[in-house]
Amino acid sequence: MTETAGVVAIGWPQLVLSAGFMVLVGIISIRLSLGIEKDLAIATVRTYLQLFILGLVLRWVFGIDSAWLVLALMLLMVLMAARTILNRAPDAPAGIFGSSVVSMGLTGFIVTFAVTGLVVQVEPWYRAQYVIPIAGMVLGNSMTGIALALERVFADLDGRAEELVALVALGATPWEAASPSVRKAISAALIPTINSMAAAGIVFIPGMMTGQILAGADPLAASAYQIVVMLMVAAATAIGSVAAVMLTFRRRFSTDGVYLEKGIREDAEAHR
Amino acid sequence: MSGALLEARDLRFVRRGDAGPLKVLDGASLTVARGEIVDISGPSGAGKTTLLRALAVMQPGVAGDVLLDGRPVGEIGAREWRVRVALLPQKPVLVSGDVRTNLRLPWQLKVRAEDRAPDDDELRAALDRVGLAEVALDREAVRLSVGQAARVALLRVVLTAPDVLLLDEPDAALDADSAAQVAQLTTQFARDGAVVRVRHQRPDGVRARRLRLSAGRLHGVGDSD
Repeated sequence: MTETAGVVAIGWPQLVLSAGFMVLVGIISIRLSLGIEKDLAIATVRTYLQLFILGLVLRWVFGIDSAWLVLALMLLMVLMAARTILNRAPDAPAGIFGSSVVSMGLTGFIVTFAVTGLVVQVEPWYRAQYVIPIAGMVLGNSMTGIALALERVFADLDGRAEELVALVALGATPWEAASPSVRKAISAALIPTINSMAAAGIVFIPGMMTGQILAGADPLAASAYQIVVMLMVAAATAIGSVAAVMLTFRRRFSTDGVYLEKGIREDAEAHR
Repeated sequence: MSGALLEARDLRFVRRGDAGPLKVLDGASLTVARGEIVDISGPSGAGKTTLLRALAVMQPGVAGDVLLDGRPVGEIGAREWRVRVALLPQKPVLVSGDVRTNLRLPWQLKVRAEDRAPDDDELRAALDRVGLAEVALDREAVRLSVGQAARVALLRVVLTAPDVLLLDEPDAALDADSAAQVAQLTTQFARDGAVVRVRHQRPDGVRARRLRLSAGRLHGVGDSD
């Protein structure tokens, strides 16, 4: 084993050894007819490939040291995240890709640069070693929150379809009719973040802090980083979910404010 | 035609059916005068609910014109239209909370921000009039029977004093007593306003003009009383 700057490097033998455990799980899957061995194999290969490519890309980006490259990479991350949100909220109305990009981009860029610029104060402001990993954490978490919020809001609206028709018939605006569902969806999106904040340090050591400690950082310095990142991630999740839901709920209503229930959705969209 | 409160001209609506496009409304026209009750019958699936929703400007994709006092929707605005041409869906929908909260719900909405909500005495008197003397204003809505809930939902719309009331099978799930109370309230309302009802039960003693919806059009089938 080689040790450089406090980091124990992992070599090929160790990488192969870790795959050995996956082979064991695969054998168990076959014996118990779980039927997951194929997915397991694909997931394992993807882990190797994606993370190695990520390592190579980051090494390349760190070497080039260009602000434009960092911004382009962040934009690519936003687009990939918006695509994931689309897949996770299949019942959402058409056209949420744009809203997802806007809300992810907004929160991702603002919160990431708030951390790197105001809190960590990196020089220069675009230093990839800081900006990219923090953007990854911020975007990854707000993506989960936004997907959850969007999935919830449209499921809850459909569950309240009869109530929405009655409310609109009484003269309610789309916001007046939808707001209980909007509130419920946004709180639902925030609960996992709040729970993980409450359990941090007691039940588990957060991922970034684990990484810094393994890399040889002083635990107290790692704590400070983790606190900042955790609060910023929570803020990004909150702002992102609110923005995404507010930008999209109106799409489930016609231009003159009628809730488009399952029965009339296709007919209404065909006439647009 | 003069004297028409609500008028629908040549309503057309095509729904995507299992066997290709389905003409639910195919030139349906209707004129309702103040003081009139119009009953619409027709086979199940003929589009009666679609017609009512179209009259309330709540069926996106309907072609044709609807006029209130000779003015089109574009002039009145969809939300204001729904305040004046009020649809009561078939299934009574009450929100969580007590009877008072439910009856005052319409005044929680921005569209009536300028109007005064009825006070407890007015609500009490209104409940007594429809045979709900035994229902307290702070009774939780979930604890109402089907017949009571239907009357509370109807009363809620009637209290907003619309010009036209659109009722979708208002007595479909009601016992004879509740149905009679609903019929009485409907008749009272029609003295100053107009009512369009979707009904296909036995006659309920309400004097009404009867229309039948078939093949997407409305045909007169005489009066009932």
